[in-house]
Amino acid sequence: MTRSLAVTLNALSLYAVALVLTAAFAAQLLLHELPCPLCLLQRTQFAVLAVGPILNIRFGPRPSHYALSLLAAVAGAAFSTRQVLLHIMPGDAGYGTALFGYHYYTLALIGFVAAIILLAAMLLFDRQFGPDGEPAVAPPAFAAVAVWLVIGLTALNVTSTLLECGFGACAEDPVVYELLKRGG
Amino acid sequence: MEFTALFLAVTTVMLVVWRGPRSLALTLFAVVLIASVATYLHHATDTLKLSF
Repeated sequence: MTRSLAVTLNALSLYAVALVLTAAFAAQLLLHELPCPLCLLQRTQFAVLAVGPILNIRFGPRPSHYALSLLAAVAGAAFSTRQVLLHIMPGDAGYGTALFGYHYYTLALIGFVAAIILLAAMLLFDRQFGPDGEPAVAPPAFAAVAVWLVIGLTALNVTSTLLECGFGACAEDPVVYELLKRGG
Repeated sequence: MEFTALFLAVTTVMLVVWRGPRSLALTLFAVVLIASVATYLHHATDTLKLSF
């Protein structure tokens, strides 16, 4: 695998993260389902997952960059596993709406496990790492767009969580936007 | 509020990765990861509203 192909795949992974963050927003806004603290934590881990690919696009692929994303994916998998286990008892309806028969935290767990497998697969290809002295290549435009898309969606989450949680601790089972409630 | 701070921190890390020095980006990443785990451990003791 060449460096440029690796950078392209990293850019595609950023679009995948952007898709997940957009889907989470869609569920929040269209279905009027406010994310719980554990749900928000999983959302942050999807955003943290994007740091490795951004590093790879800017500085070139390095094993340490993939390692950062692996750490984020393992943490995300642990957080979503915790939520799956919270609702594993027979008769428990789970939290939120099920999409394709799975609740968001189950889909998140599948996503994090898939990320771990894909990151490990990327690490199999040594040629992408190249020699240290290789000159840095300007990232392609579609990779730069992917980076700004993910940064923008993460920044939108800053506003969204501020509206939802206000300036205090986030509610365990949020039903209203705290900041809008106080304003009204 | 903790999640607003967390998302703000992640946004900052991304901007530093894209525009700033690599060493600072790696340090900030470590801080964010530790903060995420600390937030998780804090919320791990939340009371559950079971629906059965």
